Amino acid sequence: MRILVVEDDALVADALRRGLAQAGFAVDHLTSAEHAEAALDQEHFDLALVDVGLPGADGLELVRRLRAAGRQLPVLIVTARDGLADRVDALDLGADDYLVKPFALPELVARCRALIRRATSVVSAAMSLGTLHLDLAGRNARVGSRAVDLTRREWAVLECLALHAGQVVGKERLVQAIANWDDEITANAVEVYISRLRSKLGDAIGIRTVRGLGYRLDDVVA
Amino acid sequence: MSWLESASSIRRRLLLILLAPLTLLLALGVLVDYRNSADLVRSAYDLALANETQAVTAHLRPAADGTVRSDLSPQAVEVLRADNYDQVFYLVTGPEGRFVAGDAGLPVAPAGAENPAFRDATFHDRAIRAATYRMRAGSSDVAVTVAETLHKREYGTRRILSGVLLTDVFQLCATLVLIWFGVRYGLRPLLALRDQIAARSARELTPLDERNVPLEVVSLTQALNRLLAAVRDTAYAQQRFLADAAHQLRTPLAGVQAQLELLANEAAPGETRARLISLHEACRRLAHTANQLLTLARAEPSANFTGDFQSLDLQTLVEEAVAGNLDRALARQIDLGAESMSVRVPCVAWLLREMLANLVDNALVYAATGGRVTVRCGIVENAASPTAFLEVEDDGPGIPEAERGRVTERFYRSAASRGNGCGLGLAIVEDIARLHGAVLEIFPGSANPGTRVRVRFSHAGGAAPRLSA
Repeated sequence: MRILVVEDDALVADALRRGLAQAGFAVDHLTSAEHAEAALDQEHFDLALVDVGLPGADGLELVRRLRAAGRQLPVLIVTARDGLADRVDALDLGADDYLVKPFALPELVARCRALIRRATSVVSAAMSLGTLHLDLAGRNARVGSRAVDLTRREWAVLECLALHAGQVVGKERLVQAIANWDDEITANAVEVYISRLRSKLGDAIGIRTVRGLGYRLDDVVA
Repeated sequence: MSWLESASSIRRRLLLILLAPLTLLLALGVLVDYRNSADLVRSAYDLALANETQAVTAHLRPAADGTVRSDLSPQAVEVLRADNYDQVFYLVTGPEGRFVAGDAGLPVAPAGAENPAFRDATFHDRAIRAATYRMRAGSSDVAVTVAETLHKREYGTRRILSGVLLTDVFQLCATLVLIWFGVRYGLRPLLALRDQIAARSARELTPLDERNVPLEVVSLTQALNRLLAAVRDTAYAQQRFLADAAHQLRTPLAGVQAQLELLANEAAPGETRARLISLHEACRRLAHTANQLLTLARAEPSANFTGDFQSLDLQTLVEEAVAGNLDRALARQIDLGAESMSVRVPCVAWLLREMLANLVDNALVYAATGGRVTVRCGIVENAASPTAFLEVEDDGPGIPEAERGRVTERFYRSAASRGNGCGLGLAIVEDIARLHGAVLEIFPGSANPGTRVRVRFSHAGGAAPRLSA
């Protein structure tokens, strides 16, 4: 997996490069939006990590240009600004996530991993979370080498959680995911499917209940 | 009414300035009208009296002895004396004032420029008006005097006086009412401006509406708007400076922090690694404190956020805070959860997010390992009117009642304080709450004894809050 880091501060860029390399990513580093645009034109990257405060065209401008050019690669914005307007701007312009400096490296790595996984699962119709392997096209799941037999509703819940691994997914959202198959689903029914999934998937896969909010499929650090 | 008490009220000044001269003018008008009308009445009755003296002269005959005789018949005298209102007297005198006929002793008007001459006098204790006509009859001088009491005249002038008074007083009242309404109506744009200014919060720096402002105070509103713009620019520049400062501080801190984290991971276990880990922790604390200080400065009450207020659902804030802190909570086996309902409040979103982050941070630091932290939002129903609230409850050691007032002081750290906080968390929470017209309340929790910190807004939903100064 190849990540392009666009950051003009040498110390931060170096830390990003080392941290991401330690996590197993191939990392290229550029210091301006113009150079980044050219590099993305010529080569393939799985993710762009973009600082907002760049000399010349800033990071938000780079995101805007990439999306205007029809590029779909996931973009994680890193910024030292915390204003709401910046956050809204970044996400509106088509950035996929947003992280405020200073950050902890494990969190940065986890976010990169989640963004890349989501993007590649769309393309390859398959995704892996540790020992859990999902075939999104064939709608079947495996834990290690063991095939897991799921009903359509159970699959819908698992697919929704897996596509948002590491994020809290609200009960309402799961109800909507299942409602594609059956219109008469209550929030309580979701609990039933979750508990069935837990017993079918075993202890290796953690589906966590977040009190008052919903559920989270724990992201796995590879 | 307030304008009666306020000496410098323009309305009162206008009314006073107009009232006294107008009243004087109208009184003068009544007097002149009365005098003119009374003169008219008197000359009309005087003319009638003069005509009667003429009528009497027609009955005078010169006698052979050089005197005069009157051949007025009793019927003619009766006609002369006939009057519905007044008693009429007459007297004819010959040369040297010798009595010829009529009422002896009737006062005679002295000869003057006019003929007949008139005078006011009393006769038999009654006020009379007398007209005396002088002529020559044959060779002798004759004076014919006709007089009447004053009932008719008095009645006439009284009628005129009352008529003039009535119309003039009515006119005065009408004028006063018109002035009162005129002043009220004329001052309306000024009062509208006053209300516009009064309705603003002390922190609102948007320009005053200059349309519909009367010409007389346009320069005043323009001066105010220039002042507001200057203050606005200053506040904006200060916020801009703080945002830039935050930015300039965070970037190198992020670099140092990440580098130290990497070095600590790379170092072989031992003293160097331990030192790197504590350096990293110190750097993390430095970044945290810098962040808190900047937040505190940016949440200063003098900062002008009026334009940044937007309606936000507290539920999304709660969900963000829980989801964002889940891993930290899990690391200490804390059950972090939410109890939320959708409730919108007008707020500055990033400030409220910062406030909630501080509350959750405190709760996670103080909650018992394996304990419980709950983030809530909703509506308090028992208050006079329903108000929105945001609260975080933990099951930690709680804040002793005696310390509850002090924990919001800047840099105050209680003896039982934990973690590496800088003692600014609750101060930030209180400042941000105050900026939103909300109050910070600290209660014991439901278990162990725990802490429940609640931020109660002044209302639920609706328009932007009136910020108090």
